[in-house]
Amino acid sequence: MPIKPFLKWLKTQIVEAFKISDAVMRGKAVETIEHEVAELDNIFGILVLGAFIGIPSPPIHITMELLPLMNKEFDIMLDKVLTAHDPLGHLFSVLGID
Amino acid sequence: MKPQLLFFIGKGGVGKSTSSALTAVYLASQPRQTLLVSMDPAHNQCDIFEQDFSEKPKKVSETLMVKEVNTDFWIERYLKETTNQIKETYRYESAFNLQNYFNVLQFSPGLEEYALLLAFEDTLHKHADRDFIVFDMAPTALTLRFFSLPFITLIWLEELLTLRSEIYRKKEIISKIKIAGREIEQDRVKAKLQSLIGNYEHLREHFLSDTTRVNLVMNNDKLSFSEAFRIREKLTDISIGIDRIVINKLKEDENTAGIENEFKDQKIAKLRLAPEGLTGYDVLKNYIAENQEAFQNI
Repeated sequence: MPIKPFLKWLKTQIVEAFKISDAVMRGKAVETIEHEVAELDNIFGILVLGAFIGIPSPPIHITMELLPLMNKEFDIMLDKVLTAHDPLGHLFSVLGID
Repeated sequence: MKPQLLFFIGKGGVGKSTSSALTAVYLASQPRQTLLVSMDPAHNQCDIFEQDFSEKPKKVSETLMVKEVNTDFWIERYLKETTNQIKETYRYESAFNLQNYFNVLQFSPGLEEYALLLAFEDTLHKHADRDFIVFDMAPTALTLRFFSLPFITLIWLEELLTLRSEIYRKKEIISKIKIAGREIEQDRVKAKLQSLIGNYEHLREHFLSDTTRVNLVMNNDKLSFSEAFRIREKLTDISIGIDRIVINKLKEDENTAGIENEFKDQKIAKLRLAPEGLTGYDVLKNYIAENQEAFQNI
């Protein structure tokens, strides 16, 4: 087998494998932070929009000022309310605990 | 030159409306361009001046205008503006559901004092050319919530901004790792929080500045005295000082030493009781002419 094309093919395979491995590692590195950010987003949503899920906070005028800019957080918060009956299940799933 | 803002506060029934009306008429006669604003939902200025008032200032004399704040109007207007903004950014179903919530939100605790604050800002904005703006305030509870609102709001906003900044910082880390530092979009919520903080700091400065002068109206009786004492304490907690004590409805030779001792740091004004009542512009003018000394230390 000609050596040069084989080495070229091998190099391409190694680079591809490295790219995939790199993407997986980056994904793993941020997984926990992403989960943390999602929870912080949820907490922020509850703090600002709590009035809509039965929590009387914050002062209503703060809610009203920010409401037009928080459609994404509003949807996330309502979704979370629906899964609120099994928060531990959700947490275990994120942390990969069987 | 910014207008001087005189707030007349005190227990219900002590004579805030009458004292503020007399003060406004006196200032207008100096002659200074004066606006009297009734911020008490149970408006009395229409009875005192014997004419109707509304959100639109009405000329009572060459130098005096009077207006009444309608808190329902401000709440409705505010909710309508927010609804319109939401319709632009929310999905149809969410916006539709929110409409039901808004019908209930108009009764939320906190909206009434917020409506007063909106009316206050609007007044300052539209009448910056006045020499004096005299505010006849609501009874104690609502007035204290009105004054506290900028301070409480700033505490909330600063905490929310800290949390939001932390979220944004973490999102930037994720972005740097995952997509090699491509810039994430600017956070509109964070920008809005910063803008709100600026507004409320400005409002707080108004309340703390020399142009804001709080006149605490009281009568020479125990209940009124106790409440005045509590009002001073609450205002001290938010660093708002009382400029002047107005002792209203005083009978001939009544002893006010107790009040004067307790409020040593404040100017004292004594308003004699008018048994025949004080209604009508001319009656107010006559009263002022006969009791000039009560208005010298405004």
